[in-house]
Amino acid sequence: MEPINLRRYVRTSINSEHREGFCENCRTPTQKEFYMDGERQRVRMVCPKCDGLGRLISRSVSIQAPAPPKCLRPKCLIKFVREVFFCGLLSEYHRRRVIYAERHRHEKIPEKYRTGENSPLNIRQAIFAIVKLRLRR
Amino acid sequence: MAQSQTWTNTGIAELILLLEGGAASKLAKIVALNMATACTAAATSTFADPADTATHHTDGGLAIHAIDTVSHTTVNTTGDTITFDHVFTATATRNVAGIHVCNNDGDVTFIECCFNAVIPVENTDTITIDGQSTIDQA
Repeated sequence: MEPINLRRYVRTSINSEHREGFCENCRTPTQKEFYMDGERQRVRMVCPKCDGLGRLISRSVSIQAPAPPKCLRPKCLIKFVREVFFCGLLSEYHRRRVIYAERHRHEKIPEKYRTGENSPLNIRQAIFAIVKLRLRR
Repeated sequence: MAQSQTWTNTGIAELILLLEGGAASKLAKIVALNMATACTAAATSTFADPADTATHHTDGGLAIHAIDTVSHTTVNTTGDTITFDHVFTATATRNVAGIHVCNNDGDVTFIECCFNAVIPVENTDTITIDGQSTIDQA
């Protein structure tokens, strides 16, 4: 079967970090610092005294929709459906995670809910993670 | 709803005008969106009419600003990606539902982004935006 030609497109991703405006080590107000990351010019807020960062409250992450299937075989279509389902669950996890982290900004909660790292890798993990978040208040 | 981000139709038209050498301006400004609940980015959004019932913040450190850094980098082929970073520093308590990335004149939105959830910021909080857009050949 001939592969389906995919539409070419512009792919955009935007991530954001919500932090306190004071250094988490010495409580000095953080200041804007420009730096180079390879060929990319970046900016961040750092402490002028100790190079520390403000305490992370939450990080929003961009989740890319799965690529369209490249063939019409059942195997390709089932794989695509599974990826779409996982993408939906992952989106729901991150939505709940950010709401939870923002609601508990002044309290100690597991760091993974603030950073979004170690996020679920498959459908089963995503369902468990969402259920765990629902049980937390 | 997931975080959603998209180039708007007016943004694509502005980009085409830039390629043509017409009366257009570059990606240069950014503004935070104000809404009590999460919004959903739409290609049909415009600078004057953001997604859902969102509006632009006009104060609190979240109003329209020049983007801190705009540069290009490589993802698949040399120089195929525009990147931008910006730090908003809140000066009041506000809700941030997303952002608009705009042109230099501040009248055309290139990219609209709605976050995973509404971010309630307090005075002195910072929101660091890390964005990139790739013109993909694959």
